[in-house]
Amino acid sequence: MIIEAHGLKKTFTSRSRKGPKTVEAVKGVDLSVESGEIFGVLGPNGAGKTTTVRMLATLIPPTAGTALIAGYDVTGQPAKVRENIGYVGQAGGVDENAPGREGLVLAARIGGMSRRQAQARSEELMAAFSLTDLADRPIRTLSGGQKRRFALAVGLVNRPPLFFLDEPTTGLDPQNRANLWDEVRDLRRQGTSILLTTHYLEEADALCDRLVIIDHGLVVTEGSPGELKKEVAGDVVTLRLGDDARIGQELLAAQPYIKEVQPEEDTLRAYLDDGEHNLPLLLRALTERGLSLKSISLDRATLDDVFLRHTGRSLRDAA
Amino acid sequence: MLRQTTLFLGYELRNTLRNPIWPLFGLLQPVLYLLLFAPLVANTAAGGSQADTLLQFTPGVMMMIALFGSLFVGFGMISEIRNGYLERLAVSQTWRPAIVLGRTLRDMIVLVVQALLLVALAWAMGLRASVPGLALMLLLMAATGLLASGLSYGMALALRDENGMSQIMQFFALPLILLTGIMLPMSLAPDWMQAIAQFNPLYHAVEAGRALFAGDFSNGSIPLAFALTLALGALTMAWSVSSMRKLAG
Repeated sequence: MIIEAHGLKKTFTSRSRKGPKTVEAVKGVDLSVESGEIFGVLGPNGAGKTTTVRMLATLIPPTAGTALIAGYDVTGQPAKVRENIGYVGQAGGVDENAPGREGLVLAARIGGMSRRQAQARSEELMAAFSLTDLADRPIRTLSGGQKRRFALAVGLVNRPPLFFLDEPTTGLDPQNRANLWDEVRDLRRQGTSILLTTHYLEEADALCDRLVIIDHGLVVTEGSPGELKKEVAGDVVTLRLGDDARIGQELLAAQPYIKEVQPEEDTLRAYLDDGEHNLPLLLRALTERGLSLKSISLDRATLDDVFLRHTGRSLRDAA
Repeated sequence: MLRQTTLFLGYELRNTLRNPIWPLFGLLQPVLYLLLFAPLVANTAAGGSQADTLLQFTPGVMMMIALFGSLFVGFGMISEIRNGYLERLAVSQTWRPAIVLGRTLRDMIVLVVQALLLVALAWAMGLRASVPGLALMLLLMAATGLLASGLSYGMALALRDENGMSQIMQFFALPLILLTGIMLPMSLAPDWMQAIAQFNPLYHAVEAGRALFAGDFSNGSIPLAFALTLALGALTMAWSVSSMRKLAG
């Protein structure tokens, strides 16, 4: 176990004119992450993902609860924890005014390397992230994707066994996002454990070995993307019935091949297995009751359906 | 600890050397003061010959760069908080005081170089000051730089807001300048003003600077100025270092 956290809580108190106001950003999170896995923390903005990571990375002390990173306590032995982690925050955290190479060498030397070792390690990382040609340009002149790659390289310079990535692909274009996914997978191949937060379903689905979904500061569910999706069903039919939604919901729920029906604004989402074969049956049942369809679609269930099942709303709507 | 401080010092010095235009630009204002204000003072009743005026005025201008050059160094740190750079340093194996100490040492080195250029100019204009006095003055300047840098980094870390910080500095700038006798000697001021100036540590630094330039080493303002600036410098450094520690966990 590289991360073991129990009952992590964080309450922020802000003083305003109307007296102190407390915000419970994280209300009690348990996490256990195995060595060598990519572990995802998926949730909407404001769910408490960043606060959780910041507590695990020793940036802020938890209000309650305990967390062990590589066997060291985050509040009792923060220096030991820091020797074992790399951290890349949302903002990146590279010095904008210096060339990337300078920042890398400094980070390596802070980690205890000699000048020669630090230079060799920097060159190695820049080659791995295709940054060698950009090494001497001030970071502020680079594109978002290039900056992010430098941030990753700086975080990895001391070969940490555990790497924290807070929303690593936010603001990146699809090409850069795909490249970053490959880089994260390469890291796992080399034995690094990774904890990343994201609000992108596809990212959690494609990249993570296991994940937790968190909402309003609490873990909603946990498992591998496959397991979680199996909880709902293989497929989902999305229908728009207009005025007849209520009758439609009862009718669908009564069908033996339908596992669950979730209403969502003016649409219904019906979960079922083997959707290709059951869709004709469903259409026939609707026609027999005389219900008119405005639209219908059949999709594979995604993590959004898992989120919807547990929170009653779609991740796309949860701001 | 020492290793990390020198690592940061080296890194920051290389950053400065990559863009030496800004510290040089920062020198322009004091240079203009020397070129334009000194002759003006020399022509008033308070002044004497150009050489006498420079002897009075140069230490004041040196203190001005020590104070105002260094007071602004914290602005850069606010953007470094915002873009997560300091946060990332805080979760690395960095000994946190080194982040502030390295920068402050860099600021002090930049100051001494600026001061040497300024003195060279004043010398060309006719200044003839005591050389050991000049050397001590550079030390006093460095100590003032320590005080001002510590204050600036501490403010940046505590306020994290450029607007608030510039307002506060604006507020302090004028009384500090007028009550130090940088522009005109405090002996021209009414008694109540002179009394207030006694409580301004920079007033003593400027007085000490004038005594040093004149070679008057027995002047009591010299030990007083060193003691005051070093003690206050230690305080402001302690403040910024502890703010830096608070930045993370």
